[in-house]
Amino acid sequence: MNHISTILLALILLSVLLSLRTNRLMALVKLMAFQGVMVSTVPLFSGSEHGITFGLFLFFFLMVLVKGVCIPALMMIAVKRVVASREIEPIIGYHASLFAGLIMIVFSMYLINHLQLHLLPPGHKLLLVTAVTTMGAGLILLMARRKAITQVIGYLMMENGIYLIGTALAGKVHNQYLVEFAVLLDLLVAVLVMGIVLNDIHHTFDDVDTGLLGRLKD
Amino acid sequence: MLQLVVIIPLLAGITVFFLPVNRGRTVLVATALAHAALTALEWFQIIGPLHNRYFSATPEGLLVLAILSFLFLWICLYSVFYMQETEMSKEPVFNACMLLFLAAMSMVTIADHIIMLWVAVEATTLMSAPLIFVHHSKEALEATWKYVLICSVGIALALLGCFFIIFSMTMGQVEAPITFSALHDVAARLNPAWLKAGFIFILIGYGTKMGLAPMHTWLPDAHSEAPGPASALLSGALLNCAFLGVYRCHQLMYAAGLGPFSSNVLIAFGLASMLVAAVFILNQSDYKRMLAYSSIENMGIIAFGTGIGGIAVFGAMLHMIHHSLIKSSLFLTAGNIFLGYGTKIINKTGAMMRLFPKTAATFVAGFAGISGFPPFGLFISELLIIFGAVKAGRYVVVAIFIFCLILVFAGASRLVIQMVFGTRESDEILVPEQWKRALPPLVLLLTSMALVIWMPESITQTIIRAIATIGGTIHG
Repeated sequence: MNHISTILLALILLSVLLSLRTNRLMALVKLMAFQGVMVSTVPLFSGSEHGITFGLFLFFFLMVLVKGVCIPALMMIAVKRVVASREIEPIIGYHASLFAGLIMIVFSMYLINHLQLHLLPPGHKLLLVTAVTTMGAGLILLMARRKAITQVIGYLMMENGIYLIGTALAGKVHNQYLVEFAVLLDLLVAVLVMGIVLNDIHHTFDDVDTGLLGRLKD
Repeated sequence: MLQLVVIIPLLAGITVFFLPVNRGRTVLVATALAHAALTALEWFQIIGPLHNRYFSATPEGLLVLAILSFLFLWICLYSVFYMQETEMSKEPVFNACMLLFLAAMSMVTIADHIIMLWVAVEATTLMSAPLIFVHHSKEALEATWKYVLICSVGIALALLGCFFIIFSMTMGQVEAPITFSALHDVAARLNPAWLKAGFIFILIGYGTKMGLAPMHTWLPDAHSEAPGPASALLSGALLNCAFLGVYRCHQLMYAAGLGPFSSNVLIAFGLASMLVAAVFILNQSDYKRMLAYSSIENMGIIAFGTGIGGIAVFGAMLHMIHHSLIKSSLFLTAGNIFLGYGTKIINKTGAMMRLFPKTAATFVAGFAGISGFPPFGLFISELLIIFGAVKAGRYVVVAIFIFCLILVFAGASRLVIQMVFGTRESDEILVPEQWKRALPPLVLLLTSMALVIWMPESITQTIIRAIATIGGTIHG
């Protein structure tokens, strides 16, 4: 663990907090692109035993392509089609979400310190704190916002957090590129399918407010 | 070569996207036949797995694959006739997604690598989503959105669970491939705390997919809004695949000596699902939702039986086979009912005995089957599960189990009787019934009956091998 990865983690945390605070959908998508690139970069610096191999680098490139370019591009198309560019009347307000995000950091710090993680390399604790916070914040976004686009972004953020946890706990998966690639492909297709459904929701309802989706009940 | 069951439908699915509708239908049926043939070859061990780090043939996987292949063949025959009656603008997309869905589910059944299994389960969600919203109604869109979002988030948690299991290897200082078969041999050395955490997260993830309460909320919506053949596939095949994921982890827990823990968790989730289903079935106004809640109930029964252990696991496996056959049959019949009446509301149907005698016959027979009446298989499987639970001395849970069964039967029978024998003001119907659409559900029901009268020895042996790993036996 070195300074670069500490800076990366700080930047990820910053992007998490900013995305909880913003109400502009476009800014949110840009933040996701930034976060995607940062998250892809972490494995390069997180002290792999073999150093930076060619495979690791190739995979880094693919990750940036998917998380930093393809997915944000898809989301941007979605935002442009949907005329409303702001989140209106979130279920949980922005200040409250931001506060929840801060509490999340404290909570994950507490959690990680109380787990028996003595076998991990020392710097990985910070990585885990960031990862758990990112995952939690993703869940907050999923639950606290009404716009379908924001919910997709919440899902992506959660996935980023889980990926970081995987980097910290299950480093050996990183040597199996076929598996990693399959996970990445799944993510891309997931966003694609969500995008298509989102587009149809917009066509049918003239909005992407999930509050409108309340017809099916028992 | 084992992997062909994935590769062939995958390629066929991609081709169908670009073919005209009629050829697409031909390819659909041809692929289903090819898939069934491949599965048969595998079943009799004429072809084995290509040496691979990610895939392997396990008895429980083969069992699920065989059910899947058999169901798919009949469902896609039905689907062809069903599509002729409905004007669907995007039929090539529907047919293509059916095949891609088949590929994803087949991949679940042969996946051995922990994360490959996850990839396959997530792929089933994504490939089946377009099947639900082919009608493009507001309700279908809502159902699809809930399905994709809830299942994706749930399954993302399962990925976390996979990472925990891999970390339990690191903590236990185990060097092995990350596959279920390899981990099975070294399970005792895995770190138990992280293994437990992994199991819980995986159960939440795949349990969401399987429709275990309280993560079941997407299931009634998706199963009721999808067109008949898609609901049949979701309920009959997809739920088994999700269960397979849970079952594999349960095997790992058992091998690690944590069997009692995972068994109790499974029993709790199973009973919760049965209770929820029983409560919601009582006042149901939509017959497809009624069937969907019954699926939740039956998945609860399977989880319960697996958790009880001993002969109940044998019962759970039998239950899985017969539930798939009977429930798919019921959903196909529901498709026929929907074509005939043009509505899913129970109050707007009625007099089915007079208007649609063939459909009424398969519907009532299917209902008798799903309620656990002989000569259908669920009678035996539920009996075995109850025997197993009593033998294990779990009197309280078995009392709740039986109470739920009675409640579901009471709730559903009222609705079914109203639909079949109740009165209807007008005799106006949309599409008259036809033998070719009534036949596939009938065949599925007859198969369930036939399996009760004569169970091929190879199926029994496969089940015994599948349940031996978690201490299940056929001898009480």
